[in-house]
Amino acid sequence: MTIGLLVLASIAIITLDYRGQAHGVISGVKRGAHDAFSPVQHAVDAVARPVGSFLSGAIHGGDLESQNAKLRREIGDLQRQALITQATRNSLRALQRLDQLPWVGSTPTVTAQVTALSPSDFAATVQLDKGSTSGVAVGMPVVGGAGLVGQVIEVWSSGCTVRLVTDVNSSVGVRFGAGGNLALVQGSGLGRGLTVNLVAPGTALHKGEVLTTSGLQNAQYPAAIPVASVTSFSSTPSATQEAVSARPLADLAVLQYVDVLQWQSSP
Amino acid sequence: MTRTARAARALTLADVARATIVIVVVLVIQQTVLDSVRIGGAHPDLMVLLPVMAGYAAGPDRGAVFGFITGLVADLFLPTPYGLSALVGCLLGFSTGIATRGLVRSSWWLPPVVAAGATAAGMGAYAILGAVLGDPGMLRAYLVPALVVETPSAALLAVPVLRFVAWAVPEPGPSHGAPAAGSVR
Repeated sequence: MTIGLLVLASIAIITLDYRGQAHGVISGVKRGAHDAFSPVQHAVDAVARPVGSFLSGAIHGGDLESQNAKLRREIGDLQRQALITQATRNSLRALQRLDQLPWVGSTPTVTAQVTALSPSDFAATVQLDKGSTSGVAVGMPVVGGAGLVGQVIEVWSSGCTVRLVTDVNSSVGVRFGAGGNLALVQGSGLGRGLTVNLVAPGTALHKGEVLTTSGLQNAQYPAAIPVASVTSFSSTPSATQEAVSARPLADLAVLQYVDVLQWQSSP
Repeated sequence: MTRTARAARALTLADVARATIVIVVVLVIQQTVLDSVRIGGAHPDLMVLLPVMAGYAAGPDRGAVFGFITGLVADLFLPTPYGLSALVGCLLGFSTGIATRGLVRSSWWLPPVVAAGATAAGMGAYAILGAVLGDPGMLRAYLVPALVVETPSAALLAVPVLRFVAWAVPEPGPSHGAPAAGSVR
């Protein structure tokens, strides 16, 4: 009897949420819960995060030595590149002024810190420390240093949830190549590569080819944001499309700071 | 109050307060510590283990109610469909209570085994229901890492979680299963 009522209640809640009839109410309750819980989470987090880091470090301890060695080599490389970077930065500023890159040049941004990874094992998301009071809204694109990170899917006053491009529900329309070929980049799960769909057989491709957002009408993202680079491609004689894999340009495993683009898709 | 006298009564306000404390404390631990323990993209999930241990400690009906409420709270912070964790939680609490009510609970290994088995079943149910609701990626991409990480971690965390839950959720009465010589209380 009890279980029957509870199952019916659960199904009713899921249905109302899905059909949108109670979506506003449920979203409001979820926003309220996030707002109420955020101060508690931040306070406890300050004390408990070292414990989590310790546990995480203990689990991944074997990798730390090799990571340290790799990082030392990278520091040497970066120091060498620093001098070159300064000159390049000056050139880049000039180029941006000339080209007016849409996602860097004109769109206002909100810089946010990643405060938490996905609370669910069934979605690839992160949480940021900026929310509606900072001007963040559902649907806004999020970029990291190297490219697209994802899209805001939930907002409360002091934070938001971002669906990463690697999430299986993420689809990004992209362009690539000199001819501006169109394709669709879809996630395959956290820590996995991306699948590039709708690439016609025989399309000119090369490893490392950069895919950028298409910015077509009704697109979810503005044009020309770098998304991913091609890692492999192949085609069989009977295939209707190339099998193309890519990896995100933004390093989603070590996200710390990101920019939320205050850009909304035009209907 | 003796164990028998406590078990024979209905839920009191104090029981509800204890259950609330358990859910809030576990939620805080989950969000601040366990969510950052990532192995292959997945992490241990106490909010799944709670209904399992409630069903084990207090039987099918109270396990189902506790699982439903725990799921509703967990759903507030998840990007997955609202109500899905509540559905899986009440099914987990109920089925664990049904499956274990005839067992003599003197074996130390029983809670970890029940926790691992029920968590694996819960993960499977969660992914299948998610796929039915239009998110096939939950089954295709996320289920295996979740099973690999959450099943053994549920076994490891079963005993302390069971003690905590059993403190909050009393058995409904003598009709529920065999009271345990090696019980948690």
